[in-house]
Amino acid sequence: METWRCHVRAELVQRDGSQRDPYAGVFRSLSELQEQFEVRQQIWEDVQSPSLDQDGITFVDLHLWLRESEHLNKKLSQTVSDLTSVLYFKEAELHYWQSQVSRYRQEALSLARGSNTMKATLNQQEFTLERQAKELSALQKEHTRLRKGMVEAWKEKGELLQRWMEEKKEEAARVNKYNDAQERWRRLARRLKKQLRGEAVKSSEVTEVNMTNGGKEAISKLE
Amino acid sequence: MADDKDVLRDVWFGRIPTCFALYQDEVTEKEAEPFYLLLPRVSYLTLVTDKVKKHFLKAVKPEDVEEMWFEYEGTPLKWHYPIGVLFDLHASNTALPWSITVHFKNFPERDLLHCLSNSVIEAHFMSCIKEADALKHKSQVINDMQKKDHKQLWMGLQNDKFDQFWAMNRKLMEYPTEEGGFRYIPFRIYQTMSDRPFIQKLFRPVSPEGHTHTLGDLLKEMYPAAIAHDGDSRKFQVLIQGIEPLLETPLQWLSEHLSHPDNFLHVCVLPVPTD
Repeated sequence: METWRCHVRAELVQRDGSQRDPYAGVFRSLSELQEQFEVRQQIWEDVQSPSLDQDGITFVDLHLWLRESEHLNKKLSQTVSDLTSVLYFKEAELHYWQSQVSRYRQEALSLARGSNTMKATLNQQEFTLERQAKELSALQKEHTRLRKGMVEAWKEKGELLQRWMEEKKEEAARVNKYNDAQERWRRLARRLKKQLRGEAVKSSEVTEVNMTNGGKEAISKLE
Repeated sequence: MADDKDVLRDVWFGRIPTCFALYQDEVTEKEAEPFYLLLPRVSYLTLVTDKVKKHFLKAVKPEDVEEMWFEYEGTPLKWHYPIGVLFDLHASNTALPWSITVHFKNFPERDLLHCLSNSVIEAHFMSCIKEADALKHKSQVINDMQKKDHKQLWMGLQNDKFDQFWAMNRKLMEYPTEEGGFRYIPFRIYQTMSDRPFIQKLFRPVSPEGHTHTLGDLLKEMYPAAIAHDGDSRKFQVLIQGIEPLLETPLQWLSEHLSHPDNFLHVCVLPVPTD
């Protein structure tokens, strides 16, 4: 039982032990005596006739006892009536608690059924979770592998690009070199052509002169 | 709940030994002996003092008799507060029996309500029950009861019949399981060091996060001075039904088990006695 609950129960017992119980007996006796006194006083006031002695018992005493008995009977009837109504309420309470027990039993049964269903669902969900965890693990491994491959591919691509660039550089150098050579040969050819042209012109001039001279000679000869 | 039913019975059958004495200035016919009575904590003064009235009327001239009223050490006692609350507020740290002075004259109009018959007490009692149910169940439970059920609550209190009363009152103490408690807790906090009659505000038994509220939580919210902080000495005592529950006691449980028949949890905050 919780500490606070025990504390309340103990405090209530202590409270009654100090406030009610020491005085209950005395106050009850006092109340009964007062009630008895009032009844006797009432009876005494009612009975004001002279008494007849009969075997030491007076008529007034008999009347007093009779009235007191009537009063006690009345009190007993009231007590019986109170106990009957208490019994009635206890029975009603019993029926109520029985219906509560039945209701809570039904509730407990349906909760138990619900609990079993939920346990089965939970097992199923745990199995699904485990399976999906495995799938996730496999996918993660695959993802890691593919990522590695991609990194390697990128690296390879970089290397290939680097090589291609270098080759292109070398090719460009070669082409440049070839072009330079070609240019040099062309320049040489141009110079040679020029030289040749010059020589040709010179020889044709000489030929022309010679021809002119030859013609003239011929003419002169003819003449 | 079987153990807790003992708590309900202890609360119902709590008694305060009381000595009623007639005010000296009002004794005229013959000397009136004091009248001793065990007062039920959960009832009301004017409901249980018929014998007191009958006893002292013998000592007072009929023409001097007005409405009977009570006082303790000069303080008029409000009949519409439960007897246990009056005792805890005014006399819990004094010697027993509780000495109350009876008056038949000079009714203090500014301090007390008139109570000319039991029907006035019944009306007040039922009004409190309805107010409490408005807080607990939006008045659904009390409105679903028939008039005879209301009468049974009153008759149970009037005739001091525990089973008769609780046969009906248990319905007012039920709540939907999924809610975890009442909608709001009906409570009143009384202080002696204030002009304010009592503190009454809306307070739920469960926090929005689902934590169960305790007596300590209620006092922290409504009357923080009542709680001693770490290191400080205790300045106030918190009494409910004449006892000091632990501050960690759940408020819902207190409302179900330590409420008065009017369904209110009456909490008295008093300075700790110095002697």
